[in-house]
Amino acid sequence: MGPGEHMRGYLEFIGDIGLFALRAARRVLVPPFEFQMILRQIEVTGWKSLPLVLSSGFALGLVLALHTRTTLVQFGAQAVMPEVQSLAFFNEIGPLLAGLLMAGRVGAGIGAELANMRATEQIDAIEVLSIDSFKMLVIPRIIACSIALPLLSVFMDVMGLAGGYLAERATSDLSVQLYISRAFHSVSWAAFIPPTLKTAIFGAVIGLISSYLGYTTDEGAEGVGRAATNSVVLSSLAIILIDVVLVKAIFFLFPETAI
Amino acid sequence: MNDASTPAIAFRGVSRSFGGRTVLNNVSFEVAPGEAFCLLGRSGMGKSVTLKLTIGLIQPDAGAICVENDNIVGMDEDGLSRVRSRIGFLFQSAALFDSFSLHDNLAVPLKRLRERKPDEEIETIVQKNLDDVGLGKDGHKMPAELSGGMRKRAGLARALMLSPSILLVDEPVSGLDRVTASEIDDLLLRVRKRDNTAMVIVTHDTREARRVADRVGVLDNGSLIAVGGMDELATNQSALVRALVSEAQ
Repeated sequence: MGPGEHMRGYLEFIGDIGLFALRAARRVLVPPFEFQMILRQIEVTGWKSLPLVLSSGFALGLVLALHTRTTLVQFGAQAVMPEVQSLAFFNEIGPLLAGLLMAGRVGAGIGAELANMRATEQIDAIEVLSIDSFKMLVIPRIIACSIALPLLSVFMDVMGLAGGYLAERATSDLSVQLYISRAFHSVSWAAFIPPTLKTAIFGAVIGLISSYLGYTTDEGAEGVGRAATNSVVLSSLAIILIDVVLVKAIFFLFPETAI
Repeated sequence: MNDASTPAIAFRGVSRSFGGRTVLNNVSFEVAPGEAFCLLGRSGMGKSVTLKLTIGLIQPDAGAICVENDNIVGMDEDGLSRVRSRIGFLFQSAALFDSFSLHDNLAVPLKRLRERKPDEEIETIVQKNLDDVGLGKDGHKMPAELSGGMRKRAGLARALMLSPSILLVDEPVSGLDRVTASEIDDLLLRVRKRDNTAMVIVTHDTREARRVADRVGVLDNGSLIAVGGMDELATNQSALVRALVSEAQ
């Protein structure tokens, strides 16, 4: 296959995803609203991802603080360590890492689950019961990811700060009150809300891409593994690329956040 | 509504290809209300495709498919949804929803009705249908906990939840031992006798066809090469048809 055909394949894929997203946007406002399925998916995507997010956030906060402190000490600026830690987590590390972890755990799960349902005729079974399978399976997953990811991002931020405090505490007598006070000294709502809310877009992208890959597969059992793998790879890539655009958009809309 | 003179299902000159391979070529047949029609044939001859065409999961390349009074070819989703509410479908793998208990699998169709029934009534119908297939005490189980025969019976119970006038059955006894297969056939016979349900049963088990069907159609290379009773087909001029039917004797 030549480069031209590769490019055509990519463009077709992006077009298909776009049409899938349009279909989702049209169907999301049409009853019946799948509240039970959405709650169920929030449990699967959010609640069950919490241990992973909490442990990863804490570990990353600890490691980041250890590295940052070494550098700050060289410039005699170790006092600003809590501030650096909070800005790093609230602005970028929390939202992006939560998104990538979710792309790995939830993206693979959605892709594999829907592809398996396709391969075992469960999606056909939904259709023959006069139920709109797209509304029942795809829309709740996209909505659930959009709701769960901002919440997970906040948990990631909190645990990152907790890990940072543990690292700080190991080398100084800084009290919890002072650490928190310094950490939140420079964090305005504008530095916290937009980066956290951008994860709702990350969540929608993860839900959309993995649902598309699982729901539309027609390769039987072989397609299940492929859908899972591609869901992780493409969701992660999409999040990183979209993050570039969103960061620029946040700087444009909230100039005070651009340091 | 349907009357006795309107076929439950009518295929008229239906053709369907997949990637240049013709799976069905100008196929025509009718199934009367309350009739059990078996489609026999070797693997890959278009039997399951015929069922999926009947319920609108696949659209034909040419021809008309009428379910009672409705031609479903080119029908919109709302129309298809209306037609599908009169048809039950038992999939080859039963296609139970993995993440739902057996009870919830059966309750899904009723909970999604436009005019939803009260919860107590749904409970009563679910329990009755589970009892009918001998799974009355297994409603709490997940599909993964069920044996092959139990899954088929559960799939049948779910297919009957909306009291369909037509039942499509894809390989109901494949992969089952002779005793369990016979139990599934008994269930199909009982449903037909009780509800006068028209059935299209896809199978490659000629013993099942002899036991359950009023008429049998033999599909080969995309064409319906013979239609009739089993005894009639035993003297058919096609060697394939005679070979298939003789297996049942």
